[in-house]
Amino acid sequence: MKRRLQIAGGLLVALFLILGLGSCSKKEQPLEEVSYRLKWLFNISVVGDLWADAYGNFERNGLKVTVKPGGPEKDAIKELEIGHAQFGVASADQVIRAVSKGSPIVVLAQLFQVNPLHWIYRPDKTPLKTPQDLKGRTIGITYGGNDETIMRALLAKYKIKEDEVKLFSVRYDYTPFYQGKVDLWPLYRNAQAPIIGEKLRKAGEKFDLLSPSKLGVQFVANSVVTTQKMLEERPETVKRFIKALLEAWREALDPENKDKAIETVLKYNPETSQEIVRKQLPATRILMLPEPNFEFGKIDVAAWKQTEQIMLAQKLIAGPVQIENRLILGGE
Amino acid sequence: MHMQLEFKDINYHYPGSTNQVFKNLTCAITTPGFHALFGPSGVGKTTLAKMISGEIGGFSGEISARKIHQILYAYNLERLPGWTSVQEHLTATTPGSNRGKIEELVTTFGLEPCMHSRFVQLSLGQQNRTNLARYLLQDFDLLIMDESLANVDEVTKENIILKMKAMFPHRCFLYISHNVVEVAKFCKQILILRSHHKTPQTVSISGQDYSNGMPPANKDLEHTMLEIVNAL
Amino acid sequence: MLYRRIYQFFIIYFIGLTVLFMIKYVLKLSDYVIPSPLEIWQTGQSVFFRYLINVLDTLSVAILGHILSICLATIVGIIGRLTLWIGSFIRVAAYNIQAYPIVAVAPIIFILLGDGLSSRLLITAMICYFPLLLSFLGILSEPVSEIEHFYEATMRMNWHLQVKIRAFENINKIITVIVGSGTLAMVGTIVSEFVAANAGIGHSIRIALYQSDLAKVLVALFLIGICTSLYLVSLEWLGLVVRKRLYSN
Repeated sequence: MKRRLQIAGGLLVALFLILGLGSCSKKEQPLEEVSYRLKWLFNISVVGDLWADAYGNFERNGLKVTVKPGGPEKDAIKELEIGHAQFGVASADQVIRAVSKGSPIVVLAQLFQVNPLHWIYRPDKTPLKTPQDLKGRTIGITYGGNDETIMRALLAKYKIKEDEVKLFSVRYDYTPFYQGKVDLWPLYRNAQAPIIGEKLRKAGEKFDLLSPSKLGVQFVANSVVTTQKMLEERPETVKRFIKALLEAWREALDPENKDKAIETVLKYNPETSQEIVRKQLPATRILMLPEPNFEFGKIDVAAWKQTEQIMLAQKLIAGPVQIENRLILGGE
Repeated sequence: MHMQLEFKDINYHYPGSTNQVFKNLTCAITTPGFHALFGPSGVGKTTLAKMISGEIGGFSGEISARKIHQILYAYNLERLPGWTSVQEHLTATTPGSNRGKIEELVTTFGLEPCMHSRFVQLSLGQQNRTNLARYLLQDFDLLIMDESLANVDEVTKENIILKMKAMFPHRCFLYISHNVVEVAKFCKQILILRSHHKTPQTVSISGQDYSNGMPPANKDLEHTMLEIVNAL
Repeated sequence: MLYRRIYQFFIIYFIGLTVLFMIKYVLKLSDYVIPSPLEIWQTGQSVFFRYLINVLDTLSVAILGHILSICLATIVGIIGRLTLWIGSFIRVAAYNIQAYPIVAVAPIIFILLGDGLSSRLLITAMICYFPLLLSFLGILSEPVSEIEHFYEATMRMNWHLQVKIRAFENINKIITVIVGSGTLAMVGTIVSEFVAANAGIGHSIRIALYQSDLAKVLVALFLIGICTSLYLVSLEWLGLVVRKRLYSN
């Protein structure tokens, strides 16, 4: 009897072990591998992407994502078409240009609700009470870049002719601005304004930022994209990716997680000081979550349409593209 | 007192090598005239010639020259600059006092057809003759001719040597050649340079010194040639 | 010579285009990634004259910079042959400085000298200067003893005769290195414009890249190729003229 009980007990244990191992092996399903190409180098503007990479958001949604930094020579849309990446980040002008040339791209989420491109200026030297005060000023722009498009849209909106301002070609160094040769200098409000502002503050100078969006020029910035083919053939993957990504962004931008977010950025970008990243984070948050309880990643259709109109007016695209047809609303 | 070139206890080995080229080399050339420096290939004839002209130093011993102030060394691989014709070069490089000799030398050396040509357009023989001619037009006391008449036919060679002897009776020539016959026939003193293993390293033999008139008798010539060959 | 160079360039260019189109149609890429022949043609029509002026602007800077380098390399090469020490010092300096990546140095030069001609000229001169200098140093330091010996022996040698002999004897090498560095001059100017200038075809290419407009880039490359070929042919022709004059004088 005792012996039978022992045998039964042993069989039960064996059964539990088998079932347990079986369920473990079910949990260890291989993760689906995808590549995600960012628009720029690892910095504060990609804190959510870095968070997702660092804290397992992708893994928890069954994905193994290689997050690749972008750069001036990289184009996420081209990589998506060639198949070197499945997801990417591109600015609205890149998306609209690509769509106008037949690229099968769709937009899954809009990261920046307010375009981070602003112009820094010294209010003491360059008082700007209204946009008309731009007349006679030397304005820095990157010929061929977004800032040129935005500034021209701003000038056109306020009926300021190009010969009423001096456009100055901007390169990598800020010397002409520091020397006072240029009155307004383009920069990214969240990433560069804290650095440049700090330099001006140390030099005892006041500064302010010209915001095109506050003046009614909506030009959409970084957004998450994929191909139509990816959306049609692997909708579940797209859904899981967006879910994981938006979740990571929300966690990274949560003020309760600010120290962890800063630590994450510094881990991927050790070149920027902690002090600067500390200033960059709230500046980034306000551009992505302009109001409390704002739905992160929401696509502003009106802003996209305005962006298309601006590009059409400046003949940057040959004809209308109906960009709203490429915006996938309710991304998650 | 005549011109004299004397070598006393010359010892030398090539830089970076332990092989000795000259060992206690002692000899002398005591009169002006057409002399020869003769020896097998690689024994150091060109090296000795360059020591005489001052192009090589770093040897022990003494090379002394009496009544010899200007020494020139000419060798058969020299070239004229590519942009100049033979005539232009000879005119430009001949000292004023020697310009009168140009025509005579050009005729003897058979260089009339070459005068308007550039060096590269000449045959090897013409090139060697041109080179020798320009040296002969300089002011010198001793001219060392290192294979300067290579690729020249025998008849022209004889004319040239005889003309040199007639035009420059009081100068000293040291003729480096591998040709036993011409050395025996034309040279006054023949310095035989031997390997440093042999003692003495140089042997001096009197040549037939044929200048003008009757050439030397065959048996005398043969005797000199035998002496040269036995001395090697 | 010109005819051959131009059609050789055409062959290379159109082979390149063909490869691009094959990739486009095999991988079914949109016009955004690789533009269609029609788009390239239309873009060509719209930017041709503007880009031609830009390329000529670049070419003029390249030619000036090239001439400057040749003069400077000649002077330094002549000085460098004076003693072994000077020659070797100049060589070491040249090897080290030419290793500095021009894309890092160019922005600094533009900061210091501003946007004008002088910065582009300096960068162009720097890029083609070092290969010229090293070649000239080598040529002018190497004795041509078969020719120089007579002049040394008869005390007629002086520095300009020595330079003349060595340059003449190596005229083919000199012409080859000048023609070769002509391409470098063009490349250097384009790179400097791309990185930091506001004029020239390099600047136009940068704008085209910001706009992801490969059609414009291809049109620019076409014009660069034609103009560079013309320049190199001119240099080769000049070399032939110089050789003919030297040998017939």
